[in-house]
Amino acid sequence: MNIDQIKKEFPIFDEKIQNNDLVYLDSANSSQKPKIVVDRINEFYTKQFSNVGRSVHYLAVAATNLYENTRSSVQKYINAKDKNEIVFTKGATEALNLVANTLGQSYLQEGDEVLITELEHHSNYVPWHFLRKSKNIKINFAEINEEGEITLEEIEKKITPKTKLISITHLSNVTGAILPVKEITQLAHSKGIIVVVDGCQGAPHLKLDMQDLGCDFYAISCHKMYGPTGLGVLYGKKKWLEELPPYQGGGGMINEVKKDRISYGELPNKYEAGTMATAQVIAFDQSIKFLESIGIENVMKHEADLVEYGQELLQKNNSVKLIGNPKNKGGVLSFTIEGVHPHDIATILDEDGVAIRAGHHCCQILHDKLNIPASARASVGIYNTKEDLDQLNESINNCKKIFNL
Amino acid sequence: MNLKELYQEIILEHGKNPRNLRKTEGFNKDAKGNNPLCGDNVHVYLKLNGQKIVEDASFEGSGCAISMASASIMTDLIKGKNEHEAKEIVEDFLGMIKENPELKSKYLNEDEKTKLMCLSGVKQYPMRVKCATLSWHTMVSAFDEKTEEVKTEN
Repeated sequence: MNIDQIKKEFPIFDEKIQNNDLVYLDSANSSQKPKIVVDRINEFYTKQFSNVGRSVHYLAVAATNLYENTRSSVQKYINAKDKNEIVFTKGATEALNLVANTLGQSYLQEGDEVLITELEHHSNYVPWHFLRKSKNIKINFAEINEEGEITLEEIEKKITPKTKLISITHLSNVTGAILPVKEITQLAHSKGIIVVVDGCQGAPHLKLDMQDLGCDFYAISCHKMYGPTGLGVLYGKKKWLEELPPYQGGGGMINEVKKDRISYGELPNKYEAGTMATAQVIAFDQSIKFLESIGIENVMKHEADLVEYGQELLQKNNSVKLIGNPKNKGGVLSFTIEGVHPHDIATILDEDGVAIRAGHHCCQILHDKLNIPASARASVGIYNTKEDLDQLNESINNCKKIFNL
Repeated sequence: MNLKELYQEIILEHGKNPRNLRKTEGFNKDAKGNNPLCGDNVHVYLKLNGQKIVEDASFEGSGCAISMASASIMTDLIKGKNEHEAKEIVEDFLGMIKENPELKSKYLNEDEKTKLMCLSGVKQYPMRVKCATLSWHTMVSAFDEKTEEVKTEN
């Protein structure tokens, strides 16, 4: 696998960012886009545009086929059993809100318990908080260990007879911990508990096999997966998607509308009300093709090498403190520097063209637990190289120099 | 863009050893501010005497070097000013951080102006302007006895 060649597929790396070559280490936030994805959006709007699923004219039929074609590609990519288990949403956030809202409407009852973890992004906490407010459900938190991991044992410990649902991240966007989702799902299912997975960080970096993983729902963010913004995927087991009520009402999701009654459409239309992000869905097919052309095993190997290299580099850099040291770690290096606030780190690194994120990364619960207000985070994607991490380290040294450390 | 202009010695020094980082005993005005995007927070305390003059000002909170230095310098120079003077200084400061080349308030002496101008490097970093202004907005909120937390905006 030639990373230089892969990098050339991303037009942004031809740009000078404030006179610097771009060292993009913010892929956990959002990935850059390969040219084939950008071009596909342009091509669709220029030559093929029509709304989907409604009109019978040539363009509408062709666009509908393209749109449904991406659904099939996603199904294949994540090895879902049925094409109708793939629902497009406006993002992973909407996917998780859809699950919480519809389960709240028809499944979860007052007093039921939902188990999440201290690693969760706000988008996998706030939707459950809404149910805490509206339905009086209880939210329990599985706690991280010293390494910033969530173990199967910890999950088991926090399950009570009232636990109805477990909602967990596949890969932490702060510590990088990869959770034993398959084992957690087996345990949960043996107790009749539903499993929801926030796959925002998992989907771009791990091999996905829904039938093997076994979870009931899996939320994907397409813009972190070398795809367009404004698009997410919700995988849901067919029996759940059939049983649960619709999330939003509008055009496209209905079967029949009368003054005194309304019946809803079949899957997946039932959950795709209104005009969807058509161009994005069609272009996302190219993101999947891009990932398939490299092979997810190769992506995983490359990113694991990068993380190992980056971890060693930063561990050797005194005054840098890495957050978490999970055995199974994804492409995330979160850190603090004693005496320099993460925002100052990010500003100083930016001056060298090194793009990282600073803040709580939408994980305030975790930062409270770690007793830090914020952290700096470098996260890798397929286009990163060891030289990028060398530059990160060099810029960190510059940062220490400015702060007289 | 110039990092040296942003991180001047005086900013680094105030950032490292902030003045008035404590809670004023017997304060009679206070307000909280936070920056929801990054999680920075500040709590400003003021003690006004019978003549409505700021006898003591202090703050608690955490944030970057810019925000800590800004709160440190602000609480230092606001002592001895009354509400009207303080608010005019805030306006002057916010104007300078956003666009004005210099400070104009007659309530600031040259030394105070020099100190505040050290924060002018922030101008070139639009994402960091809110770091410099959070404590100032929060102080106004304290004067106005607003109970709602101040949220920053650029």
